Amino acid sequence: MAQTFVILLDAANFTLALLLVTLGLLIIFGLMNVINMAHGELFLLGAYSVVVVEQRGGSFWLALVLAPLALALIGVLIEEVVIRHVYRRFIDTILATWGLSIGLKQAVIVGFGATAQQVPNPLPQAVRVVGTLYPLYRLFVMAVAVLAAAATFLLFYRTSLGLAARAVIANRSMASSLGLNTRRMDRMTFAFGAALAGLAGAVMAPLMSVDPQMGVGFLIPAFLSILVGGAGSLLGALLGTTLIAAASTLVSSVWTQIVAEITVFGLAIVVIRLFPRGLTGGRR
Amino acid sequence: MLTIRGLSAGYEGAGDVLHGIDLDIGPGERVALMGRNGMGKTTLLRAIMGHVRNRSGRVALDSVDLAGRPPFAVSNAGVAYVPQGREIFDDFTVEENLRLGLLGKIGMRARVPEAIFARFPMLGERRSQVAGSMSGGEQQLLAIARAVIGAPRLLLLDEPSEGLQPSIVQSLVATLRAVAGEHAMSMLLVEQNVSMVVALTTRCLFIENGCVVDECDSARLRDDRALLDRYLSV
Repeated sequence: MAQTFVILLDAANFTLALLLVTLGLLIIFGLMNVINMAHGELFLLGAYSVVVVEQRGGSFWLALVLAPLALALIGVLIEEVVIRHVYRRFIDTILATWGLSIGLKQAVIVGFGATAQQVPNPLPQAVRVVGTLYPLYRLFVMAVAVLAAAATFLLFYRTSLGLAARAVIANRSMASSLGLNTRRMDRMTFAFGAALAGLAGAVMAPLMSVDPQMGVGFLIPAFLSILVGGAGSLLGALLGTTLIAAASTLVSSVWTQIVAEITVFGLAIVVIRLFPRGLTGGRR
Repeated sequence: MLTIRGLSAGYEGAGDVLHGIDLDIGPGERVALMGRNGMGKTTLLRAIMGHVRNRSGRVALDSVDLAGRPPFAVSNAGVAYVPQGREIFDDFTVEENLRLGLLGKIGMRARVPEAIFARFPMLGERRSQVAGSMSGGEQQLLAIARAVIGAPRLLLLDEPSEGLQPSIVQSLVATLRAVAGEHAMSMLLVEQNVSMVVALTTRCLFIENGCVVDECDSARLRDDRALLDRYLSV
């Protein structure tokens, strides 16, 4: 019983961690239709922001606030220099952001070396959850993911700014005819997606080996989650991450990590075959 | 009010569609623009709005120069646009569509004033309905309400009667007259429907191959077949 509960808790933990990473991608890929191959590197930079702040003597919690802000600025820069020239040019987008991805990764290697950095766990205690001990920091990560998802939903679907951003995405030329500054909205939306990636990287840093390859591991399941769930809807992202993460955790707890990955990819292929636009049908 | 001098414009990678357009619209004046398909009517509206790059010429609203400015700046200068095909936001509610007419101008705190529902009572009943589920006539009213909610000084309309039943067109004309009268709004109407042009405008311009070639009082269109044949029949 307790064993089952731990597996479920692990599945929920991985689901929410993946959701946190997927949120930023949902905005940049799902809503803005930019296939951002450098998203894993934005995640990476979020994690390295923590390393930098802690090296300078700042606390982890300060880093957690600064990382999304730093990534928002980097996002504005990337949008201005690269992305705005390749909107609606899919192949060029992939090439440009792939190049960006390599550049950012090499920059991190030049700055910090290829070896893993350590980010100590800021909440090393374990707490008793329904009869089992569970790491407190993992519960914190889950709470951050829930809050970030809720905040993103409220921002995009319950505020005027979100309405304007969705209008620009739905019909750019009409939105500009109505007086909306589409350039500014693009920049802000992209920066928000980048900030979410930065937050995810910073939050996950204590749980992972912070090295230049860390972005890749989450990027693929995050893209899969959006494809499975349906691009453009937060509900779809939630559905997709739940399916991918739960399948992966459950199978790997019974068999091996490799069987789990085969299962996840198999599942994704079946779902995409049956629902080409994802489980939620790409509803916006 | 609106002054256009020698406006030439076209799409990138193609030749000019407009060749030296001259046009004046006075304050509160309602003007129609007629011509065959492909003569540049829609391109002219899009060029005023800033969607089509102007190659040369002057476009000004009173003393504000509009040429070469992006659409959102043109909109904020007081020009509103109801494009062909309406282009309402299908997945958004009626109220959200209306709010989008204000956000870029008033700011993100803008709320839809109740007054707009007094003028468009049908929209008041449907404010939380998804706009794409409404009929064509209702969507056209929404597109017009969304354009005028920001109190523009000049309204550009591209074939608002397209695809609508005659009875609906009549009520559209009544609504447009009332709205334009209330705000002393000028209007440039691109339209094929002669009775709509006669009912709504005082002056009619004819466009041919990207030039304004003729004009007349709109009332004359009612019985001057020769004029219509010359500029409109294929």
